[in-house]
Amino acid sequence: MTRTRLPQLGLVLVLLLAICAVGLIQVVAETTGAATPQLLDLFRRTPTAAGLRAYETDLEQNSWCGNRIRVATQLAAFVTFRDLGAKALIGRDGWLFYRPGLEYVLEPCDGLAEAAAAIVAFRDALAERGIKLLVVPAPEKPSIYPERLGLFAQGLKKPMATHTTRLIETLRNNGVECTDLFSTFAGASGKPLYLVQDTHWAPGGMRLAAETVARRLAELGWVSPGQAVYDLKPVNLLRQGDIVEMVQNPAIAERFEPEPIVCEQVIDAEQTPYKDAAESPVLVLGDSFLRIYERDEPGAAGFVAHLARELRMPLASIINDGGGSTLVRQELYRKPELLKGKRVVVWEFAERDIRFGVEGWQRVPLPE
Amino acid sequence: MSTMSTVSTELGILTRFEVLSACLLALLPCVGCGKTAESVPSKVSQVGTTEVTAVLEEVRGEFVNRANYDYAFVMKYKVKAVHRGSVEGDTIYVAHYNPQKARSSAADARVPDIGGNVTRFRPGDVHRIALEAPIDDYYMGGIINRYFDEYKGVIYWAVWTDDAQ
Repeated sequence: MTRTRLPQLGLVLVLLLAICAVGLIQVVAETTGAATPQLLDLFRRTPTAAGLRAYETDLEQNSWCGNRIRVATQLAAFVTFRDLGAKALIGRDGWLFYRPGLEYVLEPCDGLAEAAAAIVAFRDALAERGIKLLVVPAPEKPSIYPERLGLFAQGLKKPMATHTTRLIETLRNNGVECTDLFSTFAGASGKPLYLVQDTHWAPGGMRLAAETVARRLAELGWVSPGQAVYDLKPVNLLRQGDIVEMVQNPAIAERFEPEPIVCEQVIDAEQTPYKDAAESPVLVLGDSFLRIYERDEPGAAGFVAHLARELRMPLASIINDGGGSTLVRQELYRKPELLKGKRVVVWEFAERDIRFGVEGWQRVPLPE
Repeated sequence: MSTMSTVSTELGILTRFEVLSACLLALLPCVGCGKTAESVPSKVSQVGTTEVTAVLEEVRGEFVNRANYDYAFVMKYKVKAVHRGSVEGDTIYVAHYNPQKARSSAADARVPDIGGNVTRFRPGDVHRIALEAPIDDYYMGGIINRYFDEYKGVIYWAVWTDDAQ
């Protein structure tokens, strides 16, 4: 009788071990790491649907086993299938694409009306104070370079900007001034306007955008050129693309060589890198498309500095990483001094934020 | 008869397992009870200009979960005690950087000086927090503030956050 039960008991134990191992390892890892076991959260308060969802999310994110297995499986998927996971994908010639950017370009977009309403309301609020607004949607990489996605995308019409073109049309029909960088970029030749491993524009694309915006401001007669004289200083740097970082796997990241970039830093007559001036008549709002080269290394070599050089005057700016849709206007609300004496606001946002903007497209009042 | 005996034996095994499991679960809350956060002097009393003990009253909505997106998230606290400095009223709004991370691993190159021993943010928890204000003087980046429409006052920046249960 005992002999016949041993295999059964063994199987039961193996099964129990398989079921409990992950949880036990987690408890051991947490207690040895001087943290209170997360399991105790279940007993701390009355369970609610929201609380249990949050608990489950925490479990997924903090799983000791999960995080270690994930790193190995990600690497295996990358080595075997060139798969970069949920956030990124590899195109032709080593070009990397951020998946939400691609989803924005390819999938239906239901945020257009909300975005248009928020932008029109912002324009109206500024107009009441005698301030003009120029809207600048920044193109996503797949909009400008769809052919880099793969052979299947050869021959696609460029730019692929159906949603953003519709938004620009809607805004123009409502009297909002917009700069269309899509046709400008699609017609450009020479070096790529975007970084190979990054979501953002290359120095050439950024500078073309700044020149286009400056030209439009001059055509509209909104800004008269200033007296400041700026020069350019070439700076070489190596940049690890943000798409590589998003994969969050050091073993995969080290397989990508940092991209060599030649920036042009804007310097004044004393050879000092460009600096903003809060009292400028022009305020620039935007997201990481303005941050790159400007606040990232080498500094003073991004969109704001180059726009300032084109306009021959220092500018005021608010750069809110990932917050081009709503957060940057909330930041403006907290900084009323930046709106004093302004005649023009230039508002840049990544086009994917029309659908995926953090906190959507809320109506945000101007500071009092 | 033989079948009945087997079933009864298996039930016996399961019952013992259930009892054992229940005992283990009952003992679990004791794990970590002996930990003392005070064994090493915390930086909570050394950084920031204001220090409070406060109950986390509300975490509004879910945290933003985006690859490579760093942000501060505003939470609502009820102040129980002010240890240093001063705060306006007993309800304060505090922004925590990348709140989905444990405080001990939340600091990065852009925001190097934050920390603490809090691992998760749950309404009802009591925290001892070192604060700075206003947030824009100490932090440059995305701020998710879901109280924007109803509260226009000062937002505090959480420098150090320790558990004070």
